[in-house]
Amino acid sequence: MNAARHEGALAAALSLPLLVILGPFLWLVLSSLKSEAEISGANPFTLPARLMWQNYLDAWHVGGFGDLIGNSLVNVAGVIALTLAVCAPAGYALAKIRFGGKEWLFYAIVLGLTVPIQAIIIPLYEVLSGLKLINSLAGLTLAQVSNLIPFGIFLMRSFFRGVPDELVEAAKIDGCGHFQILTRIFLPISTPAIFALVIISALSTWNDFFLPLVILISPDVQTLPLGLVRFAGTYQTDHRLVFSGTVISFLPIIVLYILTQRHFTQGLTQGALKG
Amino acid sequence: MDATNGLRRAFPFLLPAIALYATFTLIPMGRTLWLSFTDSGGFNTSATFVGGANYAAIWNDPIFWQALRQTVLWLVYHLLLAGGLGFALALLIARLKTTQVFFRTAFFLPHVVSLAVVGVIWATIYDPFFGFLNNSLHTLGLGFLARGWLSEPFLVLFSVNVASSWQGFGLYMLLFLAGLQNIDPTLYDAAEVDGASPFQKLVHVTLPGLREVITFVVSLALINGLKGFATVWVMTQGGPYYQSELVTTYIYRLAFQAQQHGQAAVLCVVLSLMAIAITIVFNRWRERAP
Repeated sequence: MNAARHEGALAAALSLPLLVILGPFLWLVLSSLKSEAEISGANPFTLPARLMWQNYLDAWHVGGFGDLIGNSLVNVAGVIALTLAVCAPAGYALAKIRFGGKEWLFYAIVLGLTVPIQAIIIPLYEVLSGLKLINSLAGLTLAQVSNLIPFGIFLMRSFFRGVPDELVEAAKIDGCGHFQILTRIFLPISTPAIFALVIISALSTWNDFFLPLVILISPDVQTLPLGLVRFAGTYQTDHRLVFSGTVISFLPIIVLYILTQRHFTQGLTQGALKG
Repeated sequence: MDATNGLRRAFPFLLPAIALYATFTLIPMGRTLWLSFTDSGGFNTSATFVGGANYAAIWNDPIFWQALRQTVLWLVYHLLLAGGLGFALALLIARLKTTQVFFRTAFFLPHVVSLAVVGVIWATIYDPFFGFLNNSLHTLGLGFLARGWLSEPFLVLFSVNVASSWQGFGLYMLLFLAGLQNIDPTLYDAAEVDGASPFQKLVHVTLPGLREVITFVVSLALINGLKGFATVWVMTQGGPYYQSELVTTYIYRLAFQAQQHGQAAVLCVVLSLMAIAITIVFNRWRERAP
């Protein structure tokens, strides 16, 4: 009784800050459905006289958002697959195989976890350019995977370390090699770690701006955030297009987040704390 | 003997990760350091050793000092705005039961949006003519508060940081929430019995219980702040007159627009050293914890 009243009061008190925090989204969705004349009108709190869905069709076609989203999806899928494929075995080796030089490897990885991507961008550009991977999604994907490797390895390692050594020994007696132990025993029980790695690498790739800005030059290979920025710069006086294009850019990920929020939150928190 | 044998076994597991990581991260780190001592003037040009000339040039470059000062200020803003908001909201949301998931999810929404998209969103909010901020101030009769949020020298860095922190606070809130859930609830009961006020409970139970999470979030916020680039680049490109220039945006400008790789590499070294220093300090701090 008292607890329910307490909860109600606190929830009511939190509603105002929540409205302020979500205000930018609400304002953009509302404005994106207005006509250009209504947007230029000074009062931002009025509702549109007629919902201008046409704004979305125009922005979608003019901005080529279909291609941008397609490029981003290919990019995200590539990064997830490659990150898992290289980080799981490396994390396993660091957690369960004894070998010399482990400490050096450890420091080299910590270095990558610490140094910002902007600090290595000149040689990174040179390497990609030497491999003819500038202006290519493949080049972007490789650079992003490399940037994620330290975090991915630490995440998998810390999870694998929690698996009892007896399990490894028993599998060895049964004649399993390390590769079989990894794929048949460790990976099937590691869904929380894999899920955390998938969520974090997907989110950081989908949202990346710096590497795409440097690597992707022509519009047809660009990813969504970069494409939106270019679009907003080109059509900056056509506000209805900028607004609806911006909503197109944030709505899919927000809907996806709301649908998967429990797993999403767990994966993100676990990943951040363990990595 | 066992060690070399182990290395032979571990090698195939490590090779793919190490090959990628060395090519696209480790070797570029080393080469950045080398470039900072050369006269490299652009991509695919020859680079000869010039000693500390680039370091001297950067030392005498007023824009560098401005960018460095603003980067430090940017970190402080981010820590206070994003870290502070995340902490305050976590304290309140942790006390909710039935509506906790709703508020946690709703407050987290900005964090799933790309910082570049956040830059576009807030550029429209701050727009002096059709932007939400000035228009609502005028509509509410508070027109005297309307500003050129992105054009006034003493305001621009803060304005852009608000956008970044709006995107960033959600993660810190989640981490604080996770930390709060790990505090033994009987400690609060004991404090209650001892007649502790809410403030005393915060100081003597909550803060000590969150010690580890707080150090983690502070270091994370500082590192995230150091990597700040997208919102500034999208909203102001460092302007007006370098008033929102950060070390990262200055690197991009020197490397890709001015083609001064030697000097850009010096900034890269400075940025790396700042990140390494932050990491070392916070690792020490965490290790010293009781």
